[in-house]
Amino acid sequence: MSQDLLQATLLWLLTRGETAKVTTGNLAINGPTPKSWLVEHNNWVFLLPTVLFFLWYQVYPIVRVVWISFTDYKYLTNDPANWVGFDNYVEVLSDPLMWDSLGRAAYFTAMFLPGTIIIPLLLAVLIHGVQNQRLATVYRVILLIPAVIPSTLVFVLWKWMYNYQIGPINHFLVEVTGWFTYRNAPQWLGGTDLTLPSVAIMEVWWGLGYHSVFFLAGLAAIPKDLPEAARIDGAGEWQVFWHIILPRLQPIMLILVILRFGTSMGVIDEYLIFGGFNRESPTYTWTIFMYDQAFKTGLWRQGFAAAIGMVGSLAMMVFVTWLIYIFRSRD
Amino acid sequence: MKKELPLTNIIRHTLIVFFMLTILLPLAWVLLLSIKSMPDSMRGSLWPRKFDFNHYAYVFEKIDTLPQNLFNSIYVTSATVLITSVCAVLAGYAIVHLKPKGSLFLVTVLVLSLYFPTRVVSIISVYEIQDYLSLINSTNGLILPYITLNLAVSVLIMRSIFQLVPGELIDSARMDGAGPWRTLWLIGIPLAKNGLVVIIIVNFVTAWGEYLLAATLTNDQEVRTMPVVLASAQGGMGQWAWPRIAAVYVIVVLPGIIAFAMAQKLFFKGLMEGALKT
Repeated sequence: MSQDLLQATLLWLLTRGETAKVTTGNLAINGPTPKSWLVEHNNWVFLLPTVLFFLWYQVYPIVRVVWISFTDYKYLTNDPANWVGFDNYVEVLSDPLMWDSLGRAAYFTAMFLPGTIIIPLLLAVLIHGVQNQRLATVYRVILLIPAVIPSTLVFVLWKWMYNYQIGPINHFLVEVTGWFTYRNAPQWLGGTDLTLPSVAIMEVWWGLGYHSVFFLAGLAAIPKDLPEAARIDGAGEWQVFWHIILPRLQPIMLILVILRFGTSMGVIDEYLIFGGFNRESPTYTWTIFMYDQAFKTGLWRQGFAAAIGMVGSLAMMVFVTWLIYIFRSRD
Repeated sequence: MKKELPLTNIIRHTLIVFFMLTILLPLAWVLLLSIKSMPDSMRGSLWPRKFDFNHYAYVFEKIDTLPQNLFNSIYVTSATVLITSVCAVLAGYAIVHLKPKGSLFLVTVLVLSLYFPTRVVSIISVYEIQDYLSLINSTNGLILPYITLNLAVSVLIMRSIFQLVPGELIDSARMDGAGPWRTLWLIGIPLAKNGLVVIIIVNFVTAWGEYLLAATLTNDQEVRTMPVVLASAQGGMGQWAWPRIAAVYVIVVLPGIIAFAMAQKLFFKGLMEGALKT
């Protein structure tokens, strides 16, 4: 799939068919007189701060990382960086740890993505059917509370929730239900097999309300007479949901799937806070591998770290492109 | 609308309430932890046997860097929210109503940046940039990279919001001889209020809780922001005993929730109009 097609797809997603209007509408709206150079300039002043910051802290750093990945650059030494071509990439790709760490990120994504799409969808359908307006408002407000809790505070909170000593989860499992004793209570965090599922549960909790609101907006946009007409024709609730509601929520789903795929493959803060730098730990994903090489191992091998970052993000981009392609071919 | 059967209705609300409790219980637990007595805090139970409201005063009196950390957070967040919002309003307005050459290209690049793990990969060279500007280990230095964390999303949200402002309104102001700046100030901003609330809240939440850059670009406790302090605090005994950390936590988490509670109507409207289109 070519880059142009990808861009066109993204623009289509973003503007929902307004693209044509934007590109051709310039002339129509502004009349036949071409804008003077001065006006054009004045208009650019509005974009200047955004473009400046964006170039400075988003575009340039990425370009720079691409360049670094082809050199043996290290911060701590004063040696000039030497161009080493694809050496870093060869080393990264032949390092089994790279594949393991990519695999861990993919495993996490496979656990997290279905939960963060399906559960909010169900919840939104439930709430959409609430007829008492006051209750619906209360539910909506509660839904958005986790969305205004900053990331780190969510992670810290759940670190405590999972704590084996004071955590309410294990307290519940041991003291309240008696299913476990303190000796065999589940070890949620600390690089056990449960660690990635624990992080996934936390992330699903965090996105639950926000994603439900997304779906609620989509449900609100469906004309009421469509499901009604189907019901009159004798369709059951499931059929209405499956054939009428779900297809109309597909654009929202696609956007959520793509965005959340990106989030979950690129998780780093959570693993830094929960996992540390143990290479055997399931939280040692490609992002941590990169951070470890760049800042922690004492070698400060920026070139190698940059190559890890590039391989990881390129793998993600290829997958995202494939996702978009799959969804597009069905239209 | 046809009335639901009572049974379906009961099941529906039971399920919803279950989810609502799932959302609220962890927060209720940490709030209660912050007012538990010391011995109670070592148990995981929700309701304390004995309350102790002294932890809040304690953390401010005894943990000497804490007021400084709180101030750092407030300072960095305010600056970030202000600058990002100004950038996003200007850019969103210009892209929709002034249409300078290249704005479509800009939008494309902004959208693409949402799909690339920029924040993770760029950390390597952002460290370098900050080092070059000698901004490592300075609170001020955090503001610059923070601005771009949500810049793309904010511009796109403002763009969606400004698309709802009828072009005729803007044009008629122009006919009356108002320049683009006055038009934005008098007509654009009042009509884009909801979107502004959304980007202010979104940027506040991001900057207020950012960890990766704050932990990487600062080293000393007194220049750090609250999230880093909280994440590195190990519960246990002494200064950082559990209920005391919980008290710090509540202090940090409340501003966002209060701001949201006050502006929730506008926030919700803005989400519906702007954020859900991008």
